[in-house]
Amino acid sequence: MLVYLGTDLLAAWGLNLEFGVAGVANFAYIVLVAAGAYLYAVFTLGPPAAMGGFQQYIIGARLPVAVAVALAALICGGLGCLIGVTGLKRLRADYQAMVMLVISILATTIIGADTALFNGNAGLSLIPSPLASVDPAHRGWYYVAVVGAVCAAGYLVLCRFTTGPFGRVLRAVREDEDAAIAVGKNVVGLRLAVQAVGGVYAGLSGALLAGFIGGWSPSAWEYVETLALLTAIIVGGLGNDAGVLLGVVIVPVLILQGVQFLPQIKSAPQLAGDLGWIILGLLTIAFVFARPQGLIPERRPRLGVPGVPADAGAPPARLPGGAESDVPAQAGGPVQAERPVQAERPAQAVEPAQPGGPAQAGGAAQPGGPAQAGGAARPGGPAQAGGAAPAGTLAPAVGTGPAGLAPIIAGRPPILSVDGLVRRYGGVRAVDGASFTAVAGGITGLIGPNGAGKSTVLGLVSGFVRPDAGRITFDGRDVAALPAHRRARLGIVRTFQLPREFRALTTIENLLVAAPGQRGESAAGVAAGRWLWRRDEDELAEAARGLLRLFGMAEAADERAGRLSGGQKRMLEVMRALMAGPRLLLLDEPMAGLAPALAERLEAACRQLAGAGMSILLVEHELGVVERLCETVVVMAQGKLISTGRMAELRTRKEVQDAYVVG
Amino acid sequence: MSVFIEAVGFGIAAGAVIALGAVGFTVQFGISNVLNITYGALMTLAAYLGYALLGVGVAVWAALAVAAAGIALASAGLNRLLIAPLRRRGTGFVGVVIVTVAAGIIIQYCIVAIAGPDTVSYGQQAGSTVRAAGLVLTTSQLIIIGLTVAAMLALHLLLTRTQLGRAMRATSANPVVARSCGIRTERIIDVTWLISGALCGAAGVALAITTVTFDFTLGPIFLIYRIAAAVLGGIGQPYGAMLGGLVVGVGTQVAAAYTSPAYQDVYAFGLLILMLLIRPRGLLAAGTASARRLAG
Repeated sequence: MLVYLGTDLLAAWGLNLEFGVAGVANFAYIVLVAAGAYLYAVFTLGPPAAMGGFQQYIIGARLPVAVAVALAALICGGLGCLIGVTGLKRLRADYQAMVMLVISILATTIIGADTALFNGNAGLSLIPSPLASVDPAHRGWYYVAVVGAVCAAGYLVLCRFTTGPFGRVLRAVREDEDAAIAVGKNVVGLRLAVQAVGGVYAGLSGALLAGFIGGWSPSAWEYVETLALLTAIIVGGLGNDAGVLLGVVIVPVLILQGVQFLPQIKSAPQLAGDLGWIILGLLTIAFVFARPQGLIPERRPRLGVPGVPADAGAPPARLPGGAESDVPAQAGGPVQAERPVQAERPAQAVEPAQPGGPAQAGGAAQPGGPAQAGGAARPGGPAQAGGAAPAGTLAPAVGTGPAGLAPIIAGRPPILSVDGLVRRYGGVRAVDGASFTAVAGGITGLIGPNGAGKSTVLGLVSGFVRPDAGRITFDGRDVAALPAHRRARLGIVRTFQLPREFRALTTIENLLVAAPGQRGESAAGVAAGRWLWRRDEDELAEAARGLLRLFGMAEAADERAGRLSGGQKRMLEVMRALMAGPRLLLLDEPMAGLAPALAERLEAACRQLAGAGMSILLVEHELGVVERLCETVVVMAQGKLISTGRMAELRTRKEVQDAYVVG
Repeated sequence: MSVFIEAVGFGIAAGAVIALGAVGFTVQFGISNVLNITYGALMTLAAYLGYALLGVGVAVWAALAVAAAGIALASAGLNRLLIAPLRRRGTGFVGVVIVTVAAGIIIQYCIVAIAGPDTVSYGQQAGSTVRAAGLVLTTSQLIIIGLTVAAMLALHLLLTRTQLGRAMRATSANPVVARSCGIRTERIIDVTWLISGALCGAAGVALAITTVTFDFTLGPIFLIYRIAAAVLGGIGQPYGAMLGGLVVGVGTQVAAAYTSPAYQDVYAFGLLILMLLIRPRGLLAAGTASARRLAG
């Protein structure tokens, strides 16, 4: 029974990595375990004829046991990838779940029907035991020791995958796939990696079990077995490896094996087994109902800002090394507290209309420069230039034809140019031949009435929506064919109109996930161990804390993002985009629904970012904000560009007024 | 050629059963947004219910009607007692799927515990055969085809001609807006589960009639066909599922007639995968579905 525990545990850990951590509901997982067992059998068995010829199978390589186990595990990793390919097309979760279930049921059918390959429903027997040399009387205990050792090793390796940057990005993908793509994560690649690793665990589990039993029967691997593993994970705790251990002890071992010890009813010997499954089903339902997080829930790492109480509802924050801030929630409050010189100014000094004035926030919000985020280095010159935007440097475009719409700005090349973009939804032309450019190191506004196609343009530029026609050139490179995550890595990072935080991750984790090029984020990197990514991680955490202070959210660092307020989530959305190292930041109505104080803080941050050289494309309905921030404003209506120029001029133009009045 | 025509005839009969099951499944999914894996177990339950009724001397078509009514109630009960409360708690899509898998397994093993693991048969005579245009069909196959056509027609009229149908489609399109328009969406979803349960029950008994012998794995095996048909037609779209059922039925029967019947399931699966790869939104899909991505 301890062997069962061990092999179930390996399988459950693998599935937990896929389902609990990465959110891939792999209902076909048990097929991989079965494949592992089968492969072990055919690798260790001799050629069919030499074994008496009573069963048919392939290969028959009579390999050494250890080699067979390793091969089985590796091939299952490959198979796991193959199953993962169904997710390549970014199928919706419902389709994926269905395909997985169908694969699982089908595998049993094929195996049962195909005698040449799998010996049909009879299965395989006489599989050599890995411990053939050991005295059979003690073999059981030796086997337990072997399985135990494999489990221990498996646990240590697994911990590397589930904790650390790799596990974090997997959780992010689980929480919100699109948001993960928006910060440049290769979701498909990550899923494949996870399913490969999960497959290896499945193969290992199957091979060890087949070696122990000495037989292989397709009926032992029906799709319901996947539910047993899922139940174990749900009972123990989704995403928590220690919880899964507990779950496996309770579910497959205590219940499914335990029912065998109930008094047998002679007339119906299979009744106990049925009862086991019924209990298991009830247990699953009960847990999903009453305690969906399991007995031992996923842990919440504490990475928060030192000296700041981590929990929400805590007393007002006091920032390290600064003056006490009485009104931390108010714009500028905590940030100014960092620089006592400025803190003497009243909070109202953060007056958005005042260009270049308040020089908000001591720290540079310069992404990718972690050391600066602490609040010391302030980019002097550019910060002011961004706010001031002297009209002299700007030669507003005249005319409304597409050719004349490109703003010509002295000495500054466009970072983004969009040419003849078309996107249709059914018969509706959401974007109909839009052409415009966004300048490097400035804020370009994109305005227009509802339904003008602004959000679609953002989707097209960021790669979330495929264009039907048109070119998108970013920094001299045509990016129209690149997938969204690749564009994000190039520096086109978007935010979403409705905040899409990674709910179960803490605020600071949300930021850490977004950082590009983390060494601990690939399966290989994380397998190498902590030493590889530890320093990266510390630097990133410092950068993230700096950003949190800047936006006045230091006290919420360790709060789960799902529990933040609406305004905080919006701030988080922007901060996360900044952590991704954008060169062109696409903001989709960042001010909507934001309290004035927060809106001011965000506006100030935008101005400062532009001053530091970042390019921003801002979609916004709040025209006052657009007027204050944007040098150039592009107006859209009904999918077309109708005008471009400075906001003040646009207000006087008839076509713009018409578009807003008529809609 | 006659092999082909005969296979087509069998395909149409099989397709009728598949369509019956697939339409119920897809309507349920489309309107309540629940991927209900229990559906297969309920079909098995219907088949066994029919078996039990035949055992006490009920005529086979009456048994079908009773089973349909019984499963309709069971289906609505499942929604009321299990699925709706879960969704009120905000359980995610996959969480609900897992619960339906669990509920399906409970039902399946309850059936085994009561009826035993052996295969059973309705023991019906196939009845006289009818030949028309080279097609050879038994009367029971003809009745099932007729039943399916009638059910599809009734569903069509319900969805397009009645206030209830309009409310169902509104709930499918956007439950939140539907609710704020005064549609009692919970009631609509109850009705949906009732209707899809009736189709499920009818399909279960019809399947048991056409497959001659069956055991407790009837529902899960049929799942492949049902899902293939639903996906073929674009999941959530009843007319698509009708067409999909026919295509899957004829396609697998013809393919099986020329190769080996053992791989019939594999053909259905192949069709499913092919469909997902080339046209994941189904045969009848319009471009509008992709508009959902717009909001991001």
